[in-house]
Amino acid sequence: MDIKSRSGIFNKITKGYLLVFLVPSIVFIAVFFLLPVVLTFLIGLTSMDYSFKWDWVGLENYFKIFSDRWAYKILTNTFFYVFSTLTLFNVGLALVISIATTHISESVGSIFRAIWLLPRITPSTVYALLWLWASRGEESSLFNWICSLFGLNPVDWRLNYPWLLVILVNGFVGTSFGMIIFTAALKSIPEDYIRAAKVDGASTLQIIRHVELPLIKWPLLFVTAYQTLSLFTSYEYILLVTNGGPGLYTTEVWALYSYHLAFAQYGGIVKFGYGAALATVLVIIGIIMSIIYLKMFRFGELMTEPKIEVG
Amino acid sequence: MRGGQVSLTTIVFLVIGLIIGALIGYFAIPRGPGTTEDVQAIIQERDQLKAKVQELLEALKPGEITVKVWTIGPDPPSEYRLKNIQIAADILNSMLKTLGANVTVKVEGEFFVRPVEWGEYKNNFYLAYQAGEAPDIYLTGHEDIGFLAENNYIISLDDYINQYWDVVYYDVISTLWDAVRYKGKIWGIPQDTEARPLYFRKDVLRALGWSEAEIEELPKKIMRGEFTLYDLLELAKQAKDQGLVERGILHRVKEGYDYFQFYLAFGGRLWDPNAAKMVFTEDAWRKTLQWFYDAVYQYGVISPNQFSGDWDNDFHLPFTEGRALFLSGGTWHKGEWIQKGLLTEEEFNSNIGYALHPAGEPGKKPVTLSHPLVYTITKLAKDRGVADVAFLLITLATDPHLNSYHSVQSSHLAILYSQISDSRYTQDPFLHDVAYMLDYTTFIPNHPKWGDYSRIVFNILRAVETGDLTPDDAFNELKSQIQSELGEAVIFE
Repeated sequence: MDIKSRSGIFNKITKGYLLVFLVPSIVFIAVFFLLPVVLTFLIGLTSMDYSFKWDWVGLENYFKIFSDRWAYKILTNTFFYVFSTLTLFNVGLALVISIATTHISESVGSIFRAIWLLPRITPSTVYALLWLWASRGEESSLFNWICSLFGLNPVDWRLNYPWLLVILVNGFVGTSFGMIIFTAALKSIPEDYIRAAKVDGASTLQIIRHVELPLIKWPLLFVTAYQTLSLFTSYEYILLVTNGGPGLYTTEVWALYSYHLAFAQYGGIVKFGYGAALATVLVIIGIIMSIIYLKMFRFGELMTEPKIEVG
Repeated sequence: MRGGQVSLTTIVFLVIGLIIGALIGYFAIPRGPGTTEDVQAIIQERDQLKAKVQELLEALKPGEITVKVWTIGPDPPSEYRLKNIQIAADILNSMLKTLGANVTVKVEGEFFVRPVEWGEYKNNFYLAYQAGEAPDIYLTGHEDIGFLAENNYIISLDDYINQYWDVVYYDVISTLWDAVRYKGKIWGIPQDTEARPLYFRKDVLRALGWSEAEIEELPKKIMRGEFTLYDLLELAKQAKDQGLVERGILHRVKEGYDYFQFYLAFGGRLWDPNAAKMVFTEDAWRKTLQWFYDAVYQYGVISPNQFSGDWDNDFHLPFTEGRALFLSGGTWHKGEWIQKGLLTEEEFNSNIGYALHPAGEPGKKPVTLSHPLVYTITKLAKDRGVADVAFLLITLATDPHLNSYHSVQSSHLAILYSQISDSRYTQDPFLHDVAYMLDYTTFIPNHPKWGDYSRIVFNILRAVETGDLTPDDAFNELKSQIQSELGEAVIFE
């Protein structure tokens, strides 16, 4: 047997082994991702309610989305919510905190970052309640007390500025994820680069702009992509704080609308079919966004083996 | 069905029969010395009955029968919805003990209160049912009967009711049977009912310059149709303009059925009993949507965000603290205010008035809406063989004395004729005063698709209040949604 064919057999055996090792994760993905997606899609083709009957209606639920008077408003809300929270907090503020806390002493920086982790580790309902108390319309609420220091009148923040509240509540939780990733990336930049820039006379801002930011490009893109998809499907805090209100669908996002139709109606009359169709649309949007991100940010390059092995 | 349960039911039925027979015998038979033959016959009959009971008891398997019960307030004072079933179990256990039966009945009960709302409660039931963990006795709104019956979640109770008719069911206020009937069968036992009054602050009316006589006359004027919904807006605006109140009219802050009263007040119909279909009265819906729009944007007496409010801060407190003039509520709210300490009986009597919801316009009738809650028995109970015992518990709980505990504490109305003469019931002036409202009441339809009708109306009304839709757009949207989603289930008139 020549060397080439032996090497081929070896490769096949290696691939076989790799496949065996991949089986657990393939099963995991199939059971917890693919199967729910298929089930959601199938339920979206029915008019299922609490009778749990598979009454097939074809694409009727999808056509209904187009004629749904509120679907456009809710879709606009969703994009607004995702874009605002992402730029202001999940990426924007996360980046600012990471840069700021890595440019001060390590112990003080760690304390600041630990404080920013508090919203993440607080139970959702407790966290939402704290915000609701802080933003109440009474003069004694935290927000209004701060406003009174500047001579401003008390305001019911939830009723008058619901989006501000929704973005703040979500943003304060979402910031910590980016902050951890960015901090780790910034700390991994070799000290020599910073020193060299300083020797060349670069200011702190110039070091951030021309040295640090380009070097954390991949983490930045990863957090942006990951958080976009995560925000698209999130509704937990909106449910707890405004429940999509005040008024009619003022802060209702797509995922919350799907939840409301599928599970949360007064008379216990639910629309599993229509809710599932809405959720399927969300899955499709997610897949499209993922492909765009993968292409736009050239994730392929990130994953390829380096051309030169630096020892 | 387990032999044990059949025997138990039969025994208790025999015992109840014995008691009734003894009472009839005691009162009906003329007092007198009686002949020896009569006495011998009675003794013989008693001995036969005792022997039969003994025989059945011996056949009864010893053990504990568990009956799972789910009830809801969501207002805390309605706790007797569960407590009465527990008391019924105690009574039943005493009977069994007296008879020497080695079997007991245990109630595993849940009473849900806020923050659990009706929607969540019902969701829990359906999901628990699928998991095989649903209760045997399920308390719900009568309007669910259509859906529950249609999908085999509950069993019909006609046979049981016939069996126990003379024990208590002859005494149920007859109109309530209409609320639990679906496709000619009875699927639930009424637990309570209520009226939905329009509450008003007498102290605010006094501050507006009304005399006591004028204030006392207001409910009567409303009853005669001389004070309409637009008069209501005028009066609320007047109080608000003079700075006497912050808010003119308060209505519920979440989805519900209360606001259908305004549609009824404009002459709308919800149900056609002959066709067994829901009804959409176009003229009434147009006027209702216009009225809500006017209330928010012309008169400024309803908040555009009322439907996004909070029960305490946007409903109870502004009214009990005198910061709002009118509140469209239910009789049970009085019980809630007293129990929560928001008002004392004295404060309620001196400062709060109550009336029907006024007619929409001259010539129309004032209205209220009733929503009887009912005990149902699930099919799961039948499968588990405990349906007979579950019904027995409901029968024992459907008692004028026990139900009056509930009515008085939670300010709900009687379900039994004999309850109306119960001393505690008669001594409650509020329950006495609102009793006439039942002459003006309507039930919501027992139709499987009622929930869809209700949800569509809620979203459209919310959109009118928030200014997302004009009354005209709202009407068109409402009609087209009802048409497309409910189709044949609704008559348009």
